[in-house]
Amino acid sequence: MIARVHAIASRECGSFFRLPAGWIVLSLFALLCGTLFTLQTLVPGNPATMRGFFTLSGWLLIPVVPAISMRLFSEEYRSGTFEALATSPVGDLSLVLGKFLGAFLFLLIMGLPSVVLSLVLFKASDPKPEIGPILTGYLSLVLLGSFYLAIGLFISSLTANQTLAFLATLFVLIAFLAGPAVAVHNGPAWIRPIADLLSLDIRTRDFAKGVVDTRHLIFFISSIALLITLAFASVHSRRWRG
Amino acid sequence: MITVSRVHKKFGKIHAVRGITFELVPGQVAGLLGPNGAGKTSTIRMITGYSTPDSGQVSVGGYDALLQPLAARRCVGYLPEAAPLYPEMRTVDYLSYRARLYGMDRAMRASAVRRAIDRCWLGDVAVRRVGKLSKGYKQRVCLAAALLHEPPVLVLDEPTNGLDPSQIRETRELIKELSRERTMLVSSHILAEIERLCNRVIIMARGEVRADADPAALVARARERASYVVQCRRSRPGDDERMYKVWQNIPHIADIQPDTPDRAATVQGWSIWMLAAKPGAPDLREQIAQAALDAGVLIRELRHEVPTLEKIFLKLVEEAPEQAQAVPA
Repeated sequence: MIARVHAIASRECGSFFRLPAGWIVLSLFALLCGTLFTLQTLVPGNPATMRGFFTLSGWLLIPVVPAISMRLFSEEYRSGTFEALATSPVGDLSLVLGKFLGAFLFLLIMGLPSVVLSLVLFKASDPKPEIGPILTGYLSLVLLGSFYLAIGLFISSLTANQTLAFLATLFVLIAFLAGPAVAVHNGPAWIRPIADLLSLDIRTRDFAKGVVDTRHLIFFISSIALLITLAFASVHSRRWRG
Repeated sequence: MITVSRVHKKFGKIHAVRGITFELVPGQVAGLLGPNGAGKTSTIRMITGYSTPDSGQVSVGGYDALLQPLAARRCVGYLPEAAPLYPEMRTVDYLSYRARLYGMDRAMRASAVRRAIDRCWLGDVAVRRVGKLSKGYKQRVCLAAALLHEPPVLVLDEPTNGLDPSQIRETRELIKELSRERTMLVSSHILAEIERLCNRVIIMARGEVRADADPAALVARARERASYVVQCRRSRPGDDERMYKVWQNIPHIADIQPDTPDRAATVQGWSIWMLAAKPGAPDLREQIAQAALDAGVLIRELRHEVPTLEKIFLKLVEEAPEQAQAVPA
């Protein structure tokens, strides 16, 4: 199983580098990171911290992740390559995990240039920034990116239309980020605990402060697992429907 | 090697496959024939494990496609109709990736890819991007991918679809060569292709198996019921009735059909009759000619209709389901 997951993941990740779309996504993320870093972090007189950068990182990934996830299954369905994949001796779970890990690997590579930004901060600031919040900030970026990817993976498994997959993922991500905040401030009292539970903003703020709350880790990991399971169910159900 | 037993498949309210049953033994090359919407692709998809039957059982190489799906899929090499590939990958990389999906290690992969490239004459395009290849080459890359793991069963869905005549010839030669050592199921709506490649034909229509036999046996069986086309002058009113009686009096004639609608308009002053003989009847041409002569009917044409696979196919797919009789293999 591992060999097959690895084969699918490496093809998936490699395909982003063979296509212009992959390089565009990489460039876009680097541009967004650079802009945010310059505006939020590299401000003379301000304390040397990347808290603002990581707090807003949830929004930073919004235009980027749907562009990565939209092709995971939708493109395979549209081009017919899914038929070749689904008839090879690869289990549906391996297929879904391979796709997810391939996109996750690309996401990690995409985030690498942002490490340069923290090095710049270390070089440019005196006193030096605390390393802890920066590391937890990166952890939140990875967890949030994976959570977004898992949403995109599931949506992509539902449709052969890449544009639809992109727009639906974008909509869901915006709803996830903005919805709880709006509900907390404007919604009825009974909705506030639910909004707090679903809020990504609270979690990224904690990570950006250097706090690793186990509840946040469990939230992200269990949500990712649930979404991967849903994607598996969607892919598997095609065998009955197709 | 392939067993399909009482398999049903429904898409919404549409019955794509209605309780079909057939079995392919090792070394058999079967053609799956049928018009569009006959259920060929649905059947193939259930055999290759792409989809699951609503009821019934499919097994490949002794493995149940539902209970042991991975083992069953490992026995099959599948060429889908559209020859789907990743256009951004090079031929050799694509084949290597496919080999990895079959769990081959690096050394096995290298030799399997080399063997598939040689076998499908892909040496010239091994390092070219798949998206840049012609349709014929793409088809061959897909076929090479299907052969990588040396499967005992090959399933080819419309293998020559969209190819030019020279590519069709090359692909047929390749399939013929491959069929010497494998069980093959070839889906096509090109009858000549099936006649050339296969030693068994399964004709499907409306989700049912209408015939299942050796193509030559199917034709021979149809020949047992010979038919004759007679074209004779229609000079005055009442000639048709008179001629009908003449044909009726010939022994061994089972059925008399007057002008077929498509011919009547083109032949003015002449009538065309289709005379069907009873099964096992001798050659009736002389008797028909003699009867016409005795009755003073002028014959312009008397032809023994030789049934071809195409005619048999058309007859079977046009018949209502209850009229069609599956011919046992």
